[in-house]
Amino acid sequence: MNRFFLWKPGWWILHALAAAFMLWLGHIVRFD
Amino acid sequence: MLQKEKLRRLLAGGLFFISLGGWILHVRIHPPSENASYSVPFIAGLIGFTAVPAMFLFRKTLAYAYVVNGMLVIIGTITMTHFSLAHPPETITFYTLIFHTLFPDVVILFTNFMLGKALFELEMLKTEETRSRQGRFFRYPNMGWWLVHLVALSAVYLLGHLFWQ
Repeated sequence: MNRFFLWKPGWWILHALAAAFMLWLGHIVRFD
Repeated sequence: MLQKEKLRRLLAGGLFFISLGGWILHVRIHPPSENASYSVPFIAGLIGFTAVPAMFLFRKTLAYAYVVNGMLVIIGTITMTHFSLAHPPETITFYTLIFHTLFPDVVILFTNFMLGKALFELEMLKTEETRSRQGRFFRYPNMGWWLVHLVALSAVYLLGHLFWQ
């Protein structure tokens, strides 16, 4: 059975890691 | 060899060549030894022409390849758009926005996405009636899902850029 995606811990872990990565990317990439 | 298998290899080959070309251009324009942030396109491009085309060739890793490829395209789109905003043309006209920004580079990058989507659809979404297509524009693996991720990744990137100095 496919559970609704928001009830899966893997979804939250993946998105927390991805958000942390994108925050860090925005932080390090400077073009000035 | 089946025609489908041949198409799969040709598409994966196309993905390999365009990614390799982009990677070499990046290395030539800004080698990672000059600045730590130049290692972002270096690593992203390296994954793009090695792991991603290889993963597209195996059914087990195909769905992962589709996601990784699309996310690399989104990251490239965000960072190159950022560069264009940081170095805008001196006068803003339709002509300069097209020819004096990284707009053509972003357009070339979209080819990577289209090749990846073609590889995915060839194997996973065999007909227009496939269940995952039906009425679920904003759900994986449809285009709305990519649109949501482009907007969300851009927003988080912008937050990191503005508030984490």
